[in-house]
Amino acid sequence: MSDLSSSVKLKYVKLGYQYLVNHFLTLLMIPIIATVGIELLRMGPQEILSVLSSLHFELLHILCSSFLIIFVSTVYFMSKPRTVYLVDYSCYKPPVTCRVPFSSFMEHSRLILKDNPKSVEFQMRILERSGLGEETCLPPAIHYIPPAPTMESARNEAQMVIFTAMEDLFKKTGLKPKDIDILIVNCSLFSPTPSLSAMIINKYKLRSNIKSFNLSGMGCSAGLISVDVARDLLQVHPNSNAVIISTEIITPNYYKGNERAMLLPNCLFRMGGAAVLLSNRRSDRWRAKYKLCHLVRTHQGADDKSYYCVMEEEDKEGNVGINLSKDLMTIAGEALKANITTIGPLVLPASEQLLFLSSLIGRKIFNPKWKPYIPDFKQAFEHFCIHAGGRAVIDELQKSLQLSGEHVEASRMTLHRFGNTSSSSLWYELSYIEAQGRMKRSDRVWQIAFGSGFKCNSAVWKCNRTIKTPTDGPWSDCIDRYPVFIPEVVKL
Amino acid sequence: MFSKEKTIMEEDRVRFICKRTVVSTRSVEPGRLYHFSVLDHVMEPNQIRLVYYYKTSKTREPGEITKKLRESLAYTLNCYPIITGRLVKETDGKEEKEDVILRWKVKSNDAGMRMVEARAAGSVEEWLRSVTREEELKLVHWEDMYHLHYYWSTFNVQVTEFESGGLAIGLSCSHLLADPVCAMMFMRAWADLTLSRSMMAPPLFHPLPPRRFANDGLISNNQLLSQYIKSCSLMVSPSNVAEDHMVTVTLLFPDPLVRAGENESAISTFEILAGLFWICVSRAKGKRNELMDMSLCLDVRKLLRLDQSYFGNCMVYHKVPYSKPVKTKDRLLLFHAVEEIQNITKRLDYDTVMDLIEWLSSNNGAISNGSDLVCTNLENMSHPRPMMFEEDLVLRHMSCYVKGPVAGGGQVIVLPSPSGKGPKSRVVMISLPQREMTKVVEDELLLSFSPVILMKNTK
Repeated sequence: MSDLSSSVKLKYVKLGYQYLVNHFLTLLMIPIIATVGIELLRMGPQEILSVLSSLHFELLHILCSSFLIIFVSTVYFMSKPRTVYLVDYSCYKPPVTCRVPFSSFMEHSRLILKDNPKSVEFQMRILERSGLGEETCLPPAIHYIPPAPTMESARNEAQMVIFTAMEDLFKKTGLKPKDIDILIVNCSLFSPTPSLSAMIINKYKLRSNIKSFNLSGMGCSAGLISVDVARDLLQVHPNSNAVIISTEIITPNYYKGNERAMLLPNCLFRMGGAAVLLSNRRSDRWRAKYKLCHLVRTHQGADDKSYYCVMEEEDKEGNVGINLSKDLMTIAGEALKANITTIGPLVLPASEQLLFLSSLIGRKIFNPKWKPYIPDFKQAFEHFCIHAGGRAVIDELQKSLQLSGEHVEASRMTLHRFGNTSSSSLWYELSYIEAQGRMKRSDRVWQIAFGSGFKCNSAVWKCNRTIKTPTDGPWSDCIDRYPVFIPEVVKL
Repeated sequence: MFSKEKTIMEEDRVRFICKRTVVSTRSVEPGRLYHFSVLDHVMEPNQIRLVYYYKTSKTREPGEITKKLRESLAYTLNCYPIITGRLVKETDGKEEKEDVILRWKVKSNDAGMRMVEARAAGSVEEWLRSVTREEELKLVHWEDMYHLHYYWSTFNVQVTEFESGGLAIGLSCSHLLADPVCAMMFMRAWADLTLSRSMMAPPLFHPLPPRRFANDGLISNNQLLSQYIKSCSLMVSPSNVAEDHMVTVTLLFPDPLVRAGENESAISTFEILAGLFWICVSRAKGKRNELMDMSLCLDVRKLLRLDQSYFGNCMVYHKVPYSKPVKTKDRLLLFHAVEEIQNITKRLDYDTVMDLIEWLSSNNGAISNGSDLVCTNLENMSHPRPMMFEEDLVLRHMSCYVKGPVAGGGQVIVLPSPSGKGPKSRVVMISLPQREMTKVVEDELLLSFSPVILMKNTK
C-alpha cells in the first residue's frame, strides 16, 4: 500500500515539476500582466492619457521607431527558414500474386541450396524468429526455381514499384507531372544507367529544367537523406515542390551463395516503395498532412567498426552479398545515442532537458557512478516510426528509449505485413498510424532510420490536420486484422 | 545407330522457359491436416496427366496469356488447400499399440503448386497433326516424389504457348489426391475463374459418407470386393509390359451408336466402345477362343450420392467376366460383349461399393490391374457450357493419361469430344504395346466404325 501511494505521489510530483518548468515563462508572465492590469485599472483613463501626452512623442521619434520595427520584422521573416510541408505520400502495395509464405520460401531455399542443409536450417531459424508474416512479397524474378535476376527483370520491378506509387500520388494530390520541380530517387542497391530518376522523367515527360537527383548506396536511411536534400533545395527555390521516391529493388540483390551471414538479407528484405510530395508553397499549407520540424543526420563512418559492420562483398565462391557483422546491434545503439544527443535539445521539453543536464553535471562532478538519465522521449512525441529493419532493431530501440508496446506497434506491424522494405518502411509505418485513426492535428511523429555506413537519421514531423479514416493506402484491406499478436517463434 | 542420329537431328519443339511456384492469394490457416479416404490410399502409386489444347483467333504478346493464367491460378488455389499443401506421413492415432501404421496425409502449409512455362514452335493445329505420345508428354511437367516428400509439389501445371497461336495447358498430379474426374473439375474451375471471375462449382472436401442403412451382412458374390482383395494382397502378377514400350493412339469416333446399329438409348457410347476394344485387343493378342481380362474404371460419385465436385478419388475398377461364345460373327460378338459390360455398369450398386469401402478401411494395399485391359469412362465430363479461359480461346482437344500399376497392360480412355463434332461422338485414347497397336488399328470391326485418327503412334 505504501509502495503504491509513494509511486502515485512520485507521479504527481513529476507532473507538477514538468508543468512548472515547461510553462515557466507563462507562469512568470501571469503575475506581471496581472500587476500591470491592476495598475492600469487603478489609474483610470484620464491619468493614462496624461502619462502618454507627457512622453512628448515627436514625429521623428515615431517614424524612426516604426521604421526600426518594420526593418527588424522584415529581417526576421526573410531569414526564417521556409516551412516544408508534406502534402501527401503513397506507399506501393505489391500484388497478392507476389506473396511469399514461409513454407514456399523454405521449399525454394531447400531446392536451391540442396547441398547445404546447414544454410537452409539457418534460414529457417531466422525466418521463424523474424517477425515477418505470411503476406510479404518478393518480386516475380525471385519466384523462379532457381531465381533469375536479370537486369531486365530488375528494371521491370523498378518500373512496377515506382510507377504505381507515383500514379497513386498523382491521383491523391492532383499533382501534374509537368509541375514537379525537384525529383529525388533513392534506391541503394540498384543503380542502372540511365538512372532511375531519368527513367521517371522519361515515362512521365517531366520538364527539362527539373532538378533531379539519384541517391544510391546510402542504405536504409536514404529516405530521410532524400528529405534532407529536398528541404535544403526548397530553401533556395521559392514556391516549389519536390517528389521523393524511396524504394529498394530486390531483384538484383538476391544472394546466390550459401555464406550464412549473407543469407540474412534474403530472409528479411521484401518488395516495397513510397512516393512523397513535399512543398514550400503557402497555398499547400491548408491541405498538407505534415510539417517538417527537424531533421538530424549523424554519421558514424569515422569509426572503423561502424564503417565495416554492413559490407557488400564477395564470398569465397564469388557471389556478391551483404555481410552483416555480429555487433550490428551495439553499433546501432551507439549511432542512436549520437543522434539523440543532437535531437534531444531540439525537441525535448525544458523539464526533461533540465533533468538530463543536472544528471550530466552530477555524473561529471559529483559521482560518475550515477545512472545516466535517459530523457523521456514520450513527452516530446506522440508517435514513433522506427525503421523496421528486423525484430532485433525494434526490440533494441524499444528498450533503450523505454517505449511501450503501442509506440512500437506501427514498426512491428509493418515488419509483419510488408517485411523489411528498407528506406520506404518509415512511410508504411506512418500509413499504419493514420489507418488506425490515431493521427490527430499537432501530433508529433519521430521517424528514425539506420543505414550502412553507419548512419542514424531522424526526422520530426508535426501533423497539420487530423487525418480521417478510413484512408486509402496499403493497409486499407487488412487494417481490421491488425494489430496481430506476433509470437516469439513461429513453428515452421 | 540411325535412330539415335535421327533423335539428335530432331529439333525439340518444346522450349522450357522457367519453373516457379504459384501460391494462393490468401494465406491459409496453419496446421490443418487433410486425411485421405480409403479409395485415395488404394491409388497411391499412380499418376495422372492431362493436356488441354486451345486455339485462338487473336494474336497476343508472348507471355501475356501465361501471366494472366498464373494470376488466376493463384486465385483458384484459394479454394484448393489440398493442392497447396504437402504430404506428410503420420499415424492415424487410432490403432492399437503394436501396429503403428504411417499413412499419408496432407498438411495445409500454404506452399503452393509448381508451374512451368514453355514455348512451342508452330501452331496448335500443326502440332496436333504430327504429335506422338512422347512429344505430348513434354507438354506436361512431372517430377517423381523427392526423397524429402515434404518439399514435393503433388500437382504441376505447365503452360505452353505456341508461337503461331494457341495454347496447351498440361496438368499432372499424384493419383493419391485426385482422380481424372476431379482433376478435370479443377481445370474447369480455373477456366471459369479466369473467364468470369467466379467459380461455378467450388470443390467439396469431406470424407466419404458412411453407409446409410446398416446391412445384414456382406453381399454374397461381391465380385468387386473379391477383385480388390486379390489385388491388394498382391496375388495379381504385375504387368509385364514396361511403361516405355507403350504407344498411344487417339481416335475420334463420330457416331459409334449409329455404326453399331443401336438406336436404343439404353446403351451408352462408352459401353459400345468398351465392347469394341475388348474384342479388338483380344484378337490382337491372338486370343481366338476367349476374350482377355478387362476391367472397367467407373466413377461412382452418383452412386454414392456425391456431387460431381467432390474432390478425391471416387472411381472403382471392376473386372468384366465373359462367359459367352467368342467364335461368332462380329456383330453378335459385339452384342454379347456389350451385354456383359452392361451387367456390370447397370448392376453396380451402392451396397457393393460400400462393402468395398468398408473392407478397405481395415486393409491396406494398392490396387493393380496386372495385364488387364482397362477401360475408363470419362464421357460424362462434357458440359453444355464450354470450358474457356478467355472469350477467344476455344478448346480444341483434350488428352488424358494414367500411369502406374492401375493402368494394367493396356488402356482405353473414353473422353467427350470437343464441341462441333456431335453430341454422340467420342474421343478415345488407346495405349497398348506397339505390336498389339498395329493390329488393333487395322482390325475390320474397328474400321467399320470409321474412326478418324487424331494422334498416330509414329511420326
